[in-house]
Amino acid sequence: MSNPDHTLTVVVSDEDGSTFTLREICERGDCHAEFVIKLVDYGIISPRQEVAEARQWQFDVAALSRLRKALRLQRDLKINLPGLAMSLELLDEVEQMRRELARLNQQLRQLR
Amino acid sequence: MEFKDYYAVLGVSESAKPEEIKKAYRRLARKYHPDVSKEEDADAKFRELGEAYEVLKDPEKRAEYDELRKYGAKPDGSFEPPPGWHSGSGFAGGGYTDSDARQFSDFFEEIFGGGRSGGFTAGSGQRGFQRDRSMRGEDVHARLALFLEEAFHGCEKQISFTVHEPDPDGRIVSRQKTLKVKIPPGMREGQHIRLKGQGGPGIGSAEPGDLFIEVELAPHPHFTVEGRDIVIVVPIAPWEAALGATVTVPTVGASAKVKVPKGSGGGRKLRLKGKGLPGKQPGDQIVVLQIAVPEKHSAEAETLYEQLAEAEKDFNPRSKLAV
Repeated sequence: MSNPDHTLTVVVSDEDGSTFTLREICERGDCHAEFVIKLVDYGIISPRQEVAEARQWQFDVAALSRLRKALRLQRDLKINLPGLAMSLELLDEVEQMRRELARLNQQLRQLR
Repeated sequence: MEFKDYYAVLGVSESAKPEEIKKAYRRLARKYHPDVSKEEDADAKFRELGEAYEVLKDPEKRAEYDELRKYGAKPDGSFEPPPGWHSGSGFAGGGYTDSDARQFSDFFEEIFGGGRSGGFTAGSGQRGFQRDRSMRGEDVHARLALFLEEAFHGCEKQISFTVHEPDPDGRIVSRQKTLKVKIPPGMREGQHIRLKGQGGPGIGSAEPGDLFIEVELAPHPHFTVEGRDIVIVVPIAPWEAALGATVTVPTVGASAKVKVPKGSGGGRKLRLKGKGLPGKQPGDQIVVLQIAVPEKHSAEAETLYEQLAEAEKDFNPRSKLAV
């Protein structure tokens, strides 16, 4: 079923530089523009520059990854938009706290 | 093939009512959702849950499964369906499911899949494939853990991931793809890299998808990272703290000399400009001083400390505690 591996060396040149239009982010997230617009309305994701005209929106890769997460949570756990907004915010907070805790624990170990 | 006990997966009894099954699934799905759970095998666990629920929520599939379950696993835990087994519940016929059926186990495939040649099921989030149409290749999202040294200096990393593509007969098959990626210096935790055109191949004349990599940093025994800054705790002797000293501290790049100012207390932070993660605006290295004391002093040193205590008897280190 799987072909032999092939190895190709790729050089990363595009760090954080990519942006997507509304159309592109919809295509990549496999969802409707209305959904993305709602996510923006709820502040779940935001374009790089807050402009009123949706056609001028540019999203970064982090926004795409958040959109995909929102889609997965909605599909798997049947969460509505306000619920999604809150879940994602709480998940961010948890993630931040986990990192902070790991960092502080590590510093505590170093102090011993 | 391993027998899957779907009742055990959901933690319900064989006689569980549909509502109990639904409730158990919902509870466990929240717990093990890969976007929520930090457990090591959350991904696999969640897929297993989805598979178990897919079968047990459907009375027809559940009845078929119960039948097979009676037939049972061999003593070594392996399982073969009875000869001539054919599922009547019609999953293979393009039945719609909420879950991504490509992720289900061999066991599920064998029982309800009607053979792998059955083709593509319309899992949500996966666009249906039609042979005569062109379709952009799938984007692949991956995480890559780097050691701090690797993130600092840049490195070459091998990444393997699965892409889906049509074989000559138009069936979707998965293929392992391996890439060597040159990571530039100065990557931070959570940063995204996009490798254009390195995801799944396009169908027809369409473009291939992209590969997105999210960077993670593995914990380091001495350094911690805060954004672009690298923090290290550096112990100094009490006399270095009191008199001031120039000490050598490790940096990720090499080592550096740091001037400890006279009268430095424990916890004092010294900043080494530009010695953090490299980049357009490089971070700093932050040295946190810690006063270290030998486990045992010589008699001579103790005498000297006693003299010191006498000379400095007006100093109250606990003045802030009001004692």
